Amino acid sequence: MLTVPKASGSNTPLRVERARLDFLRASRFYACFKKYQMVAPTVTILFALTIYPMVYMVWISLHEWPIIATLPRRFEGLEQYEYLLFDRSFWDAVCASATYLTISVTLQVGLGFAFALLLSVGGAGTTIVRLLFMLPLFISPVVAALIWKFMLGYDLGILNYFIRSIGLPPVNWLGGEGMAMASLILVDVWQWTPFSILILLAGLASLPSEPYEAAVLDGASPWQTFLYITLPMMLPALAVVVLFRTVDAFKMFDLAYVLTRGGPGDATNVLALEVWRRGFFENQMGAAAAISVFMVVIALGLVSILAKLVKI
Amino acid sequence: MKRAIASAAKTGALLAGAAFFAFPFYWMFATAMKSEVDAFAMPPRWVFAPTFGNFISVIRETDLLARMGNSFVTASASVILTLALAFPAAYSMSRFGVGGRKLLMWLLSIRMLPPIVAAIPLFLVAAQLRITDRLFILPILYLTFNLPFAVWMLKSFVDEVPKEIDETARVDGCTTRKILWFLILPLTRPGILATGVFVFALSWNEFLLASIFTQRYAVTLPVSIASFVTDQGVLWGLLTAAGTLASIPPIVLLFVFQRNLIRGLTLGAVKG
Repeated sequence: MLTVPKASGSNTPLRVERARLDFLRASRFYACFKKYQMVAPTVTILFALTIYPMVYMVWISLHEWPIIATLPRRFEGLEQYEYLLFDRSFWDAVCASATYLTISVTLQVGLGFAFALLLSVGGAGTTIVRLLFMLPLFISPVVAALIWKFMLGYDLGILNYFIRSIGLPPVNWLGGEGMAMASLILVDVWQWTPFSILILLAGLASLPSEPYEAAVLDGASPWQTFLYITLPMMLPALAVVVLFRTVDAFKMFDLAYVLTRGGPGDATNVLALEVWRRGFFENQMGAAAAISVFMVVIALGLVSILAKLVKI
Repeated sequence: MKRAIASAAKTGALLAGAAFFAFPFYWMFATAMKSEVDAFAMPPRWVFAPTFGNFISVIRETDLLARMGNSFVTASASVILTLALAFPAAYSMSRFGVGGRKLLMWLLSIRMLPPIVAAIPLFLVAAQLRITDRLFILPILYLTFNLPFAVWMLKSFVDEVPKEIDETARVDGCTTRKILWFLILPLTRPGILATGVFVFALSWNEFLLASIFTQRYAVTLPVSIASFVTDQGVLWGLLTAAGTLASIPPIVLLFVFQRNLIRGLTLGAVKG
């Protein structure tokens, strides 16, 4: 450990001074070491849990790699990627993910903004109404999928009961290809619109009141006030919502897994499900890893674009 | 007149929204409290004799309680592990600027990575080491999303404690460890609690990693429920009872700690 060397014998000012400087340097080094020491475990663990697997994943993607360890692995170079280029089911998954992501995020941000504006006005009972709005955020997507699977049932589902009772034919929610995607989006909108409502409400609450006062004085219509004051000032909060929802929608797995298992056919087979299916179901870890590499590239691209917009 | 119509439309829209978001919960709970005859009645019975039969049989006949126990251990261990690692890191990043913006952005990009992507290589490693399906594996894996989240969130709380407080203490001869333990910890307690609650809920609800890394012994609640859904898709009474039980802990926790909800959802990017 650190000890100040004792100036034995002659204690010339110079030696004392040198010892003092050594001590200072050492203790500064120690303090520096200490502040890194507090971050080091976190960084090391995350490195082991993310960077290392990423590198390993790229390595796997260059092989034909069955999940069973006793089966032989074969180095293939870039063959997996070449194969993916012309692979129908991969591109279907890309399309499914893109459709799901775009529609779902648009609806969530639009609806969320509308409800946030309504809720921000305040009034009697808003606190309770707000809490009711937030409920879906707290539960596991597995449970959300479960409730909705029950409600979307063809014969016994409550939704088709409502539809029949207003005289329309029942809808095959999870059976038809287009309807299955619509149902998936419906459940996602149900679970995550509260997220945009919450964030946008917080954003609205933090807006300054002066521009609105000026607008009232100038006789602006409510629509003009919204378009020229609220909307521009809310852009940062909107960007945060879009960033988080886009990235989370891109990763979505559990909801589709429980609700549709990617079906019917490949209609709701989003990329995360495709990776899972290839790796753990079809025993092709190499192909799964190649798709994973593709997903990482897209995810990082999305983050860097959106982070620039958000400026966090 | 026009104003009255507008306000009626607003109230109507709000009520419709509240019904849309809350009705599925009512329906899950109501179905769980119905007898089998009532649950499958068409048209649905709005008035029925409530019974706890589904809850009793889901606890007696399945291993739901054991799975709940697994979930509880996993989530609690995640909270302790995450906070112990993230709190000093957040302090150091807030006060000494360790790693700077680069480190923060790296953590953010980890939060954005699809977990399925890390799952495959990690599973191959874990399978080789024969450590899948153990209770301790999930809290460690969950650090992947819990740690970046907790560091961002805690840093935003530590940032709010004035720097002068640390400096005064340091002048008085306090060590960093003491400052952390006796000053910053009590001052950021609401933030630490909120972070802990979020980590608990995230870990309690997690499905993907749990389903890949556990098979028989360490299975958590969402995995167990998901397997019910696919295997025995008709036992809606039991399923809704299980779903209700699984939803109670996170809902109660988040209602109690709703004050810091917004900050938690965006890693501190938006403060509510």
